Amino acid sequence: MSDTAAPTTVAITVNGVAVEAKPGELVIDACERNGVYIPRFCYHSRMRAVGMCRMCLVEIDGGRGPALQPSCMVSVSPDMKVFTESPVTKKAQDGILEFLLINHPLDCPVCDKGGECPLQDQTMAYGPGESRFVEEKRHFEKPIPISDLVYLDRERCILCDRCTRFAKEVAGDPLIHFQGRGNLTEVNTFPDDPFSSYFSGNTVQICPVGALTAKPYRFKARPWDLEEVESTSVVDSVGSRISVQSSRDRVLRFVGVDSDPVNWGWLTDKERFSFEALDHEGRLGGPLMRGNALGKLDAKGDQLVRATWAQALGAAASALTEAGPSRVGVLGGARLTNEAAYAWAKLTKGVLGTDNVDAQLADGLPADVVLGLPRATIDEACTPGGVIVLLGPDPKEELGALYLRLRHAVIEDRATLIELTPRSTGLSKFAAHRLHPRPGEVGELATALVADVAPTRAIAGVEPAAIAAATAALRSGKPVTVILGRTSLAEGTDAIVEAALTLRDGFPGVKFLSALRRGNVHGALDMGLSPGLLPGRTTLAASRAAFVDAWPNVPTATGLDATGILEAAASGRITTLVLLGADPLRDFPDAALAKKALETVEMLIAVDLFVTDSGRLADVVLAAAASSSEVDGSFTNLEGRVTAVRQKVTPPGTARADWMIAAELATRLGGDLGLESVEQIRAELAALSRIHEPLATGAFGDRDGVLITGGSVTVAPRERAVVPKSDAYSYRLIATRSMYDLGTVLQHSSSSAHLAPGTAVLLHPLDFDQLGVEAGARVKVSAAKASLHTIVHPDAGVPRGSAAMLFNQPDADVGGLLDARAAAIDVRVERV
Amino acid sequence: MGYLNGFAVTFRKLFHNTPTGAIVTTEYGGGRGRKHDEKRPKADRVHGRHVLNRYEDGMEKCIGCELCAGVCPAKCIYVRGADNDPENPTSPGERFGFIYEINYLRCIHCDLCVEACPTEAITESKLFEFSFTNRQDAIYTKAELLVGDDGMPKHLPWEDWRPGEDLMTSAWMRATSPSGDADYVGKVAWSGELGYGLRAPESGQTTEGAWPPPAGASHDDHGHDDHDDHDHGHAHGGNH
Repeated sequence: MSDTAAPTTVAITVNGVAVEAKPGELVIDACERNGVYIPRFCYHSRMRAVGMCRMCLVEIDGGRGPALQPSCMVSVSPDMKVFTESPVTKKAQDGILEFLLINHPLDCPVCDKGGECPLQDQTMAYGPGESRFVEEKRHFEKPIPISDLVYLDRERCILCDRCTRFAKEVAGDPLIHFQGRGNLTEVNTFPDDPFSSYFSGNTVQICPVGALTAKPYRFKARPWDLEEVESTSVVDSVGSRISVQSSRDRVLRFVGVDSDPVNWGWLTDKERFSFEALDHEGRLGGPLMRGNALGKLDAKGDQLVRATWAQALGAAASALTEAGPSRVGVLGGARLTNEAAYAWAKLTKGVLGTDNVDAQLADGLPADVVLGLPRATIDEACTPGGVIVLLGPDPKEELGALYLRLRHAVIEDRATLIELTPRSTGLSKFAAHRLHPRPGEVGELATALVADVAPTRAIAGVEPAAIAAATAALRSGKPVTVILGRTSLAEGTDAIVEAALTLRDGFPGVKFLSALRRGNVHGALDMGLSPGLLPGRTTLAASRAAFVDAWPNVPTATGLDATGILEAAASGRITTLVLLGADPLRDFPDAALAKKALETVEMLIAVDLFVTDSGRLADVVLAAAASSSEVDGSFTNLEGRVTAVRQKVTPPGTARADWMIAAELATRLGGDLGLESVEQIRAELAALSRIHEPLATGAFGDRDGVLITGGSVTVAPRERAVVPKSDAYSYRLIATRSMYDLGTVLQHSSSSAHLAPGTAVLLHPLDFDQLGVEAGARVKVSAAKASLHTIVHPDAGVPRGSAAMLFNQPDADVGGLLDARAAAIDVRVERV
Repeated sequence: MGYLNGFAVTFRKLFHNTPTGAIVTTEYGGGRGRKHDEKRPKADRVHGRHVLNRYEDGMEKCIGCELCAGVCPAKCIYVRGADNDPENPTSPGERFGFIYEINYLRCIHCDLCVEACPTEAITESKLFEFSFTNRQDAIYTKAELLVGDDGMPKHLPWEDWRPGEDLMTSAWMRATSPSGDADYVGKVAWSGELGYGLRAPESGQTTEGAWPPPAGASHDDHGHDDHDDHDHGHAHGGNH
């Protein structure tokens, strides 16, 4: 379409009724928008139309008389006449369904799709009443697993091309294909090449028959005994909209809901199958305390035994009182809903009076950078023809639903992608400019990118020509969005912050989309669960006065961040540590420091769904209700969009919502949060924070929620980080995460727990050749603090001079090599 | 004093004969230890306590599809399916009824479950003479509902089964094609049953084409040559 004086509507006639369609719109969409549903199997509004199934045949008269045409392949034209209910159309629909049912086994009673099956429904509505087919049907081996999570039943397949198109076009993992010809055509994977896509569950959702079914839901329930509520996925910070479906007070599946500004109906398998963790046998049904082998409470005991809430809360409260504000630290909070985060902020900052609170575990970015830079929405980042700068983690591994949006923007909408990551990512294939600076030196690269004069030498290991080309793309005048997050856990945040500020100053109008990964971390930061912040995206310094009236107590000085808290705990300056859904032993990028801190601290209080590795060291474990589907509340995604999280099932045992635990603790600390319901929390928050006013009115309860913008946080200027030069024998370490790791929720989801791939050390092929070992050989990787043994593989995606490893994997303690204070980490790789 | 008039009607009618000579108030048949310990004959299609049936080879007919639970107007049925162990299947096919419970405090014996069942797994006997004294007994599970190894319904202590009453508790009629096999469309016939085999056709029924013609009375053993066809009807069968 040209946009020069194009008409805004096209007049067509549907079944004799004049309707207005949009120019270029497909007939099937135009009819549906005007209330005439045309049956279809292969057409999906989020994928390209292919006209495979022929179910949407309708009579269309484009001026040369009516003829049967697939309405998903024909765009509207002026004065077009569409007949969806004519005898010819009816006969065509009837015939197509009869053809589709020729080979479809009628095993609906045992099929997981039975009851919600488009083929069933449309056969009832448009199909023949009786079969004339008396021959033997086509037979295949009944369900074959095509991945760890998905079963394929080829007998049921109607060859609509939805799953194969999704895998190829949307997910970019073309692992399932049509095979064979004619009557023997089937969908399948190639041998030894399973459908191991991070997005495989979506094919189950879009399959119009029961050909693809999900292992975790297999035979668990029938559609008519499910109850559903629309909620938000809290697994990562994209905040994908989901439908939580349960039966008999047990969540049985999550289904993606199409939210136009967020996830377009897609979910990662991690989000989709995370429901399994909710009723894992390890879920805490009540508080635990130190005790002996007989199950009796004993502060010196070597195990955790059941306690009552009164005992556990009493012990926690007395330890917190005893320690006093300066000797208390609180880690975590990304697991909480916004309301719970507010309650905990009020408890820690407003009642205890400590500012040693950090929702991040030194694996993100400083809160002022996340909240203070001009923020973009996902839609703004994916503007057709825009420029996307990836200065963050691999979205495919950490923020899957965002990856699908970005991929679509680059491939379908001609956005230009510039990578400023230490190694190649899942998006590298589509990136116009791949700049892989040495870890810790991205700040220098950004300076070169904004400079007026093109560099003459390589900067941070990036060739000048590549820098000049990227600069030209950035200066093209198109809108620029930076996806900003932690590129690697083995480098400090200073260089990333410096690069972000350089880009902000160098290209006016640039916006930033935060790529912090963990759950509701953006909500936790908005609620002030970070040193120096208060609820409502404001700082202690700026808003202390306003909060003094509302809260019993407000800290006077900025406290310690996660690294500071753990260092203080390790040296005995912090004696009581609260883990708010945090597992520092696994997630903090310095495992040795985390271990020392948790072992040294006098009182360790964990508030969690499970006994995590860190929780095993705790003195008191308080059982919390899961934010996904066990509590009501709201969630803030990486754009700042607040959507509703809804309760569907009751928490196990006496586990209770996090905000209730905060309120109970406050009472025992001699304070009173004055919070009695989530609505009341939202009202109080809205009264204190002007930007959160939509939460009090309930306007956020819609599917797309409300975007919270504004705030008064500004980015503090920083000095340039000095990265020590590495010697010629060392490699710069890159530590990134993969979709599947030892994360708490994932490890308690029984079908996904074993999917953590493990890690190897990856070197550029030329570096690898110098090492003189076979691929897969065992090597020793030594950093300044520790060393480990692992295997080595060449990988062309790792730049020369760098060594890449995956963090938090079962077979190597990469966390032990890291140092949260280091700007970059050098390792040696030696054969053993 | 109004209610005494009501009682008066009852007592007046107690020994009152109708114009046809029948006594309106009759003693309820049955009641063990009573003088007249016999049940009155029941109509052919009385709906009573349910039975979960097995095929002639002992496999359970229930596939756990939950259609009975879905159609139940009293919401008294709770079913959950599970994967069959391919080595040792409980029922033919992929899925079997893992949990099957009927709450007889709620059941209204409407028989919709029997009509909904795609495999004739659930049928109703004519037994209604059962009463229980606690809620636990009122909820029949698979252990109580499933027929025994002889194909006969289990007799529970609080149920009043009489000789012969546990015969022909199964086998609703096959009116449509099983597993989509069009050979059987429109044929009305009985299905094979553990303990009964095939029943002789009643008037209006035919066994032509549907099953090998039954050799004789319903209690005869129909031999193993039935099995191939039987499996054919339930296409994706296990290995029995």
